[in-house]
Amino acid sequence: MADTYVAEPDLGFIKEVGALGGADLKKCYQCATCSVACPISPDNKPFPRKEMIAASWGLKDKLISDYDIWLCHNCGDCNTRCPREAKPGEVLGAIRAYAVGEYATPKALSKAIANPKMLPVLLAIPAVIILVMGFIFNSFGLNWLNFSIPAGGEIWQANFIHNYLVDIIMIPTFFGAIAVFALGLKRFLADMHAQAVADGKAKDEKIDFGKVGQAVVSTVLTIIKHNKFSECGENKERSTAHMLVLFSFIGLFIVTNCFFIAEWVLHIEGPYSQLNPVKWLGNAAGVALVVGGILLLRNRMTKKDQASSYWDWYLVGLVLVLGLTGMLTQMARLAGMAGISYTLYFVHLIFVWSLFAYTPFSKLAHLVYRTAAMTYAEYTNRQ
Amino acid sequence: MDKKYGVYICKGCGIGDALDIDALCEVPKEEGLPVKVHDCLCGKDGVEFLKQDIANDGINTLVLAACSRRVLYDVFRFDGCIVDRVNLREGVVWSHPRSEFAALTAEEKEDENNFDRVQMMAEDYIKMGMVRVEKIDLPEPYQLESLSKRILVIGGGMAGMSAALDAAKAGYKVTLVEKETALGGHAAAWRRQLPIANPYDNLIDPIVADKIQAVESDANITVNTDTIVARLAGEPGNFTVTFKKPGEKIAFDVPYPLPDEMKVDEKGNDLDAEKLHEAFLKYNEGKEDILQFDPDGEMYGAVVLAAGWQPYQPEGEEFAHLGFGELPDVVTNAQFEEIAQNGKIIRPSDGQEAKSVVFIQSPGQGNDTDFDYCGAVTSLVALKQAKYVREDYPDDGKAFVFYQHMRTPGLQENFYKGLQQDPGIFLTKGEVAKVSKNGGGLIVDADNTLLGEKLQVKADLVVLGTGMVPATKDDPVVNLAYRQGPAFRDNIDLFKGYCDSNFICFPYETQRTGIYAAGAIRRGMTVEESMEDASGAALKAIQCIESVNRGVAVHPRSGDMTFPDFFFQRCTQCKRCTEECPFGALDDDEKGTPKPNPARCRRCGTCMGSCPERIIGFADYNIDSIGSMVKSIGVPSEDDYDEPPLRILGLVCENDALPALDIVALNRMSYSADVRLIPVRCLGSVNVIWIKDALSQGMDGVFLMGCKHGDDYQCHFVKGSEIADIRVKKIGDALTSLALELERVTQFQVAIDEYDKIPQIINQFVEEIEELGPNPFKGF
Repeated sequence: MADTYVAEPDLGFIKEVGALGGADLKKCYQCATCSVACPISPDNKPFPRKEMIAASWGLKDKLISDYDIWLCHNCGDCNTRCPREAKPGEVLGAIRAYAVGEYATPKALSKAIANPKMLPVLLAIPAVIILVMGFIFNSFGLNWLNFSIPAGGEIWQANFIHNYLVDIIMIPTFFGAIAVFALGLKRFLADMHAQAVADGKAKDEKIDFGKVGQAVVSTVLTIIKHNKFSECGENKERSTAHMLVLFSFIGLFIVTNCFFIAEWVLHIEGPYSQLNPVKWLGNAAGVALVVGGILLLRNRMTKKDQASSYWDWYLVGLVLVLGLTGMLTQMARLAGMAGISYTLYFVHLIFVWSLFAYTPFSKLAHLVYRTAAMTYAEYTNRQ
Repeated sequence: MDKKYGVYICKGCGIGDALDIDALCEVPKEEGLPVKVHDCLCGKDGVEFLKQDIANDGINTLVLAACSRRVLYDVFRFDGCIVDRVNLREGVVWSHPRSEFAALTAEEKEDENNFDRVQMMAEDYIKMGMVRVEKIDLPEPYQLESLSKRILVIGGGMAGMSAALDAAKAGYKVTLVEKETALGGHAAAWRRQLPIANPYDNLIDPIVADKIQAVESDANITVNTDTIVARLAGEPGNFTVTFKKPGEKIAFDVPYPLPDEMKVDEKGNDLDAEKLHEAFLKYNEGKEDILQFDPDGEMYGAVVLAAGWQPYQPEGEEFAHLGFGELPDVVTNAQFEEIAQNGKIIRPSDGQEAKSVVFIQSPGQGNDTDFDYCGAVTSLVALKQAKYVREDYPDDGKAFVFYQHMRTPGLQENFYKGLQQDPGIFLTKGEVAKVSKNGGGLIVDADNTLLGEKLQVKADLVVLGTGMVPATKDDPVVNLAYRQGPAFRDNIDLFKGYCDSNFICFPYETQRTGIYAAGAIRRGMTVEESMEDASGAALKAIQCIESVNRGVAVHPRSGDMTFPDFFFQRCTQCKRCTEECPFGALDDDEKGTPKPNPARCRRCGTCMGSCPERIIGFADYNIDSIGSMVKSIGVPSEDDYDEPPLRILGLVCENDALPALDIVALNRMSYSADVRLIPVRCLGSVNVIWIKDALSQGMDGVFLMGCKHGDDYQCHFVKGSEIADIRVKKIGDALTSLALELERVTQFQVAIDEYDKIPQIINQFVEEIEELGPNPFKGF
């Protein structure tokens, strides 16, 4: 028998979830058509019916720790079948957005990232950091930020902003983001487990790390293969876009690491030859990122029944700008257009930094929370 | 009236193909009646052919052997003529197709032991039709000596005021009486009201003030506040009404019937009629007898009863688990409305703002029913009151509704939808287990909610969605000076005090003709529903007055001109008719002789069925007419054939069973050709003498087929089929004395949509009778 739950509705939560894209959540009259329609909802305590009433009751604590919201892949099958047009899929998406904000610290940054008016400020931060850090190092005579590159020479980004300066800024940012994720994930895992036990979805037992390992492997395979996407009825085409973007990020991550080792360990300076196989991978991933971004954009633009909030556009925009600035920087460099190439590179760096710094607070955070939730579901054998 | 007979046989619709028409013509000829055959009686030619005979030959008593009397009745209506329809089409040829009941071949006809069951059936029905027209007369309408067309509306709430306005608008004078000192009823004390017009999505300001204004300024309406009905005597079109102030005691207060225990003497023997009356007068000392009319009374034609409701008063510990009675912050919805009317929603205990309010719609304790006397209206009231909380505290007010049923019929669904969108209103199905104290506030425990098995909610105030108790539950209100008593008898018990006859089939009709119910005395309802109800009841009242004016019956025998006629010289004052009449139409006098009030009568004939002396009858429907039809049925015996066919009589209620039998025929379903069916007005009108006659002339079995009785009765006359069932059970002694098996007489209950079961019911009964063997009286 489940424990007694004291319901203390949070009216602010209802309003915020509404603003994040779940504006129709109150229309639900609990017929549970959504839970039946959902191709990936488990048979035992299926979502999203119970999430819908919890949301309309403003039960924030129950929802942000409910890992079922992360099992949903927002395919929209429930939205099209909902007799009240309450859009359960959108509501879950909005709750996920809210949950990301809740688990990330500092909260102020969460709020800023969810607010379109703050975007210029957020983008100004990396620009200022690069410039300020550059001037500081320049004042020590290191000349890592160079605005007076002689014309006619080889165009090489490091001539403008030295790779050391880039790495000195990016590497701590990357690990800072990991740290924010780690803190959020720790709280999320604890809450998720407590809630699952309270809801009767899991038992409070000692953790079997062997089983956890198996669950991780199985979940990663599921994600790589995009199995959950293909189970969805509506919006199947999203699978391709997501796959392109995911694999391109993985590819670019590998490429970055390779060149990091080349730079710092093997001391091989760039620019690298286009014949270099690592370069092939980089280019292929860059193209995939751009194509994936365009597909994401097209899907969002053509799906009229799917609501798209700033939260969603932020990620689509980030993907596209990252891909485009990266590829165009290289193309301008090869075309000998120095000014354009250096400018694009600066913009590219701003977005790369934003990618690292803001991921734990943005929609992209799902890569951590969803993976964790799916692994937990796999581990507890949720069916 | 000098009857000049004519028998007409129609050959259309397959009758001519299936039957030997020449042989049929022999039946009237044997009786010396003229008979004519036509290819299509209902066609232009056919009707003209009949009209010619009426005009030229003076035929005024016609037996039309054609189709069911339930069709083409307007085509075959000839003013001033008695017309009987012999149902050859549905009753014989369609329900007994030659493919199953083959005609005799020429060879077979030569053997006298062969017979044609279908032909026999048609011949019997023609004989029955001929004897019926011989025994009946043209009815003459019952006219009141004086007729009042004024309408009395009891109750000055939303329903009563609407009924008064509707009746006044139709040109009738109306008196509206209200026991309180002002009009308006409960609606006058509400903060806001449920929507009554498109788009039905939000609360509106109460419309009661406009209604009061309209009533008070209507020249056709007289308003008497601070007034109740002391007694209402007489019959529709001629009610004598005595009014009084609430609480007054006057001589024309209505007397109450003697309780059963006072109807016997010390030895337990029944008192005779005169002693009974003496005891009755003593029991009602200071009050005039019901037959004494108030000379100062006012005259009315019909009554609309819109006495409304009272909030349910929980008894003692009834809702102790919900804290009611013990915790001051647990209130009923009526008390909550009072709080809301007085200003912001506050806690009764300390006057603090109540920002978290829980509305409970069902008392729980393992039972999923709502509070007593609840319905869709209480769901809607909970939503309305939830909105009050949000109106008073838009930023942080929270209203929770725990329901087992959330009913928002019709376009009130829009109101529900609109309200659902409010972020501070929380709805869930669930069973509230208990309400307890939690510091300064309350805590509500609910099980099996949509949010989980066990749920707790903190509340400042808890509201119980208790019901609307009809005013007629404990008080007759109408105070009828009727021998059966001042209230609506049987249905009040059946419907938990609600006042109605059958709210599905006959809305507004009560068990007392001329008195029509509207509003919350019929069931809990909203203002909108009450207003619609009021129109219905007002129209019923007008219909009743106009029917009485023409001397005809009201629904369900609308337009019937006959009324029960009593041969008083042979009355034994047994009072059975007075007591059994479902509508309390009869008042017996001090000697126990029934006093008919034909305008109160619905013409079901239950009195005729009840009378052991068989002195009650109608012009076209009486003991003799049906009895003679029974006797005219041919009962072949072994003297006629080696293996004579069975003869089974079916007395069939014409309200549902007869239409169902017509549907059987339309669907070409078939049943035994050994039964002979006689339509009756209601099974209540079946006099056991007919059954005895049938059996003593050698018929092998008798069944009654009529409406369902019991809690979900469908009898069009409320009690008829139930009374018939009792009579059939009591007939056992008579059967035993004739050495006949009890199984030879039975009663079947069918609904109109159960036509598909009827052939099997009939055939199975025939089989059972076959097993019992032929009636030993056959041939005597």
